[in-house]
This record gives sequence, C-alpha cells and structure tokens, in this order.
Amino acid sequence: MTDSSESLPEGLPEATSHRLAELEHGLFTSDLSVNEFLLIKEVGFHPLGFVMGSSIYHTGIQTRKWGQSQELTKLTEAMYNARELAMTRMEEEAAELGADGVVGVRLDVNYYEWGKDAAEFIAVGTAVKAESGVSHRNKLGKPFTSDLSGQDFWTLMQTGYIPQGLVMGTCVYHIAHRGLGQTLGSAGQNIELPNFTQALYEARELAMTRMQDEADQLDASGIVGVRLEEKSHQWGSHTIEFLSLGTAVVKTSGEVTLPTPTTIISLDN
Amino acid sequence: MSDPAPDLPEAANRRFASGAFTSGLSVPDFAACVQMGLEPVGYVQGFCVMQWRWYGLNSPYSRGLSPYGGGGQGGYMESWQCPHGFVSAEHRSWGQNYEQSWVEDAWGHGFGTAYARMLEEAAAVGAHGVVGVVDTASRLGDLGVLEFHLRGTAVKVADTSGPPGGQPWTTYLAGQRLAKLIEAGYAPVAVAAAVSSVRVWAYCMTEYLLEGTNSSWGVQQAGAEITQVASAQMAARQIAREHVRSQLSGDSLHGAEMVVSEHELGQGDQEVQCVLRGNRVRRFKDFDPMPVPHPTVRLS
Repeated sequence: MTDSSESLPEGLPEATSHRLAELEHGLFTSDLSVNEFLLIKEVGFHPLGFVMGSSIYHTGIQTRKWGQSQELTKLTEAMYNARELAMTRMEEEAAELGADGVVGVRLDVNYYEWGKDAAEFIAVGTAVKAESGVSHRNKLGKPFTSDLSGQDFWTLMQTGYIPQGLVMGTCVYHIAHRGLGQTLGSAGQNIELPNFTQALYEARELAMTRMQDEADQLDASGIVGVRLEEKSHQWGSHTIEFLSLGTAVVKTSGEVTLPTPTTIISLDN
Repeated sequence: MSDPAPDLPEAANRRFASGAFTSGLSVPDFAACVQMGLEPVGYVQGFCVMQWRWYGLNSPYSRGLSPYGGGGQGGYMESWQCPHGFVSAEHRSWGQNYEQSWVEDAWGHGFGTAYARMLEEAAAVGAHGVVGVVDTASRLGDLGVLEFHLRGTAVKVADTSGPPGGQPWTTYLAGQRLAKLIEAGYAPVAVAAAVSSVRVWAYCMTEYLLEGTNSSWGVQQAGAEITQVASAQMAARQIAREHVRSQLSGDSLHGAEMVVSEHELGQGDQEVQCVLRGNRVRRFKDFDPMPVPHPTVRLS
C-alpha cells in the first residue's frame, strides 16, 4: 500500500486523511451486515473502509413555459453534475485506500433549511479490495462502484459477471399545464392524451439512454438492477426528475459457477 | 436486431442499438434467469397517459336523474328505497349501485395501449418474452390525468436461434417464482389484468350508517351491516373476476392479486374499484412430483 498521507488528492478534507491513514494500518470500517461481510470475504474481497463523497450544489432555477412540455437542460445538468461530483469524491477516497471497488453505494439528496435551491448530494459505500492482489479496477483504472448488497455481489460473481460501475442518467422535465381550451376540448371522456404520453416517454428514455452511454464508456456488457425513480424535489408537481440507476457489469469468465438451484418450497410464505 | 420501430422515441432506438443489455431485474432474479437459459436483452416499457375524471360521456346516471332507471351499462345495478316514507330535500329517498363500464373501458384502453407499446419495444429487441413485468397507474400532479406505465425485462431463450414467432409472452413473475412455475410444468402466456368500478350513491340508511349517526328513525341499529356498500364491494370483486376470466381463453390464472380501493367522490357518493391481476399460464408438460420439502433452519 502506498504512503498516501502526503499525496492526498486535492479537495479531500483534513479529517479525511487522518481517518484514511488509520484505515491503512489495518483497521477497517464498514457498514456491511455480518452476512454481507462473510459473502464478500467468500468471493475473495476484503473490506477496506467506509468511503463517502458529497457535494453541496446550487441547482438554480430555470424558467419554464407554462403550456409546454420540455426538458429543463440546466436542471438536468445540475442534478447530474452534483451526483457525479459526489461519486467522484467517493471514488477518490476509495482509490486513496488502494481499493478495487466500492460496494453497497447509496446516493442520497438532502435539503436543508439554510439553503434554498441548494441540495447536498451524498454518495457512501464500502471500499473493498481483492485478497488475491489481482486488480479488479474498471476500464478507466478507477475502482468499480456498485449499489449491490453483499448478497447481490456474491450472486453476480457466481454468474460470471463483475461490476464495472454505478451508472446513472437523469432528465428533469417540465410537464405542460393544460389550458382551458384543451381541457374543454376533451371534456366528458376519459381518453388518451398522446402528447403527454410522448413527453413522459421521451423523458424516461432520455434518462435511460444517458445511463446506457455511461455503461458504454465502461465497455460494459450489460446493466443489471435498473431502477427508474421519479422525484419532484422542491420544484412543484409539474417538474419531475427522472433518474435511472443501475450497475454496469462485464462478462468475464463466461462460466456460470452458480450451483444448480434446488427447488425449496418454503412453508412460511 | 430488427429494424427500429417507427413510433418509438429516438432515444429508445438509440438505447436498443447500443451493445449493452439493460435489465430491471434484481441480481437474484437475474441469476435465476441466466440459470434457466433466459438472457436479458433490454428493459422495455410502454406508456399511456389518459385524461381521468369520474364522469363518462355515456353516463346518464347522476343523482336525481334516474331514481329507479334502467340497468347500468355493464349489467350490474341495484337500487334501494327509503324505508321511512317521508320526503324532504335533505333526505335521500333512494340509492343506487351501478357498474361504471366507461371507467372500466377507459382503464382497459390505457392499460392495453401501454401493454401493446411495451410489446412493441420487446419485439424491437427481438425478445421471446418479457419477465418481471410491473404495472402502475399513477396520477400526474394536478392535471387530472392518469398515467399507465408498464415495464419489464425482455429476454431471449438462449438455446433457440432465429427470431421468435408471434408475440412475445409476458409475465409478472421473475427469478425463482418463474423457475418454480416452469418446473411445475406451466409456461407463461401473458399478464392478465382488469378493473371493475362500482359507483355507490348512498340512500338515507347508508348515509346514516356511514356517518355513524345513531338515529336511523327507528329502522335499524347503528353498528349493523351497511348492506349497500357491502353489496358494492361484493359486486366489484365479482365483476373484476369475470373480466379477467374472459381474457383467459382456456388458460389458467396463476398468482392472482386483488387490490380493492374506495374513492370518496362527494358526500354519500363513492366508487369501489377493484384491480385483479395475475399470470395467464398454460400447461406444457406433465407435472413431475417435486421433492418432499424438508425443514431448513436459516440463520437470518
């Protein structure tokens, strides 16, 4: 392990170097449960430490056209960059520990009383390193990140895939208000509103495509555990952030070492 | 990869053209699918945004218009008459339960359109089937619209070469529950879902009982069964079951789930809605007896 207390990456606080220095002496912190810890050991990884990154970001405002459905590109960029910053800082902490990857990553957004239009983006996870000494870093030479639990990490490794990175895409979209004329035009029936269908469809697809672009940069063979989240944050009900998250994986050995499952009929539901 | 479907958004075609697959399955479900020989090829989805209010153009039934009028459109209708025998503007001298077939039709249209679009995406990625389907119908802000959203993970059967014939099959199941179904000799055909909607216009007795008023003018004790609402609840469940049954065309329904909700639309005016969903399955091989379960102690 390198002596890193002098070569600390820029931008990490003082307290970090102290904590990381302690971690390098063999003590580790981890938020893994006992089961997760054992399973991660079982596939040949050792937890190094609990790592995190955060970014307080002024997300700003953007004017919206009352009657138009459109993407709010400034907000999209802000939401994306802020998460990216938090993730990068977490990766820096992990790299500092000489980790191969970070498991159990959680991405949260917090709002505080003191900062209107500002939000804190936090990424936390547990840095792990392969005991064999073989590097498991991703194509970009960075520690892989993933939001997989210890159990999921173990299962995935058995199927011959390894995680490359937590990938995400976001799209902040403003949904048009409906004018009186439009409302009256279709009054009296429950019918499809095709332009709304299209707008929301497009918003989600944009988020997913951006996630896919990130996966392509990592030369991933796939993305598992894709989630689509929708949040209005503090923008009111007509502005929605569509966030798509998943773990990019790459096929390695091509061999499935997962034992053939035995059918178990559970008697407790 | 087949040609891009013309009416998918540009971003969707770009996503499908990329080399990496996307899967909305959890890792255990993903592993189980790989084990079964199902390869995830893409996360597919379909949408339909519907204007959604409680009226219907075809709805002649509003209070005061049709006290004992003809049958509801969907067939179910029941009327109640005041047992007290006095007339006043505030006294609800009649009540009615009726099936709102226009709500059911609109729901069916929204769900069906979103489903067809999901299948279209699945066909665009050359899938044999879609597993782990999730459907939601959610209100968007204050727009008075309801969005139907169906999504799932499109899969290819690993051993078969060439494009699949016919429509992709779909199922709400994934992972071990799907594996057990196949082991039991059933193949998934399609998801089946239907809604029933029963409107309840309360008459005086129902109103007293709903509001917990002690006096019902000596006719019934507070705390008795509210027959009109109970009747609507029963009818909603039965209608939903009939609707789903009519979709099965001889197949079985597996893993059915029923969700009943009540919507207060005004005083003494409510809707009982029942959504029934499940998996249409078809037997493809005889049932091999499964091993006798033995007790296992788990340390979690």
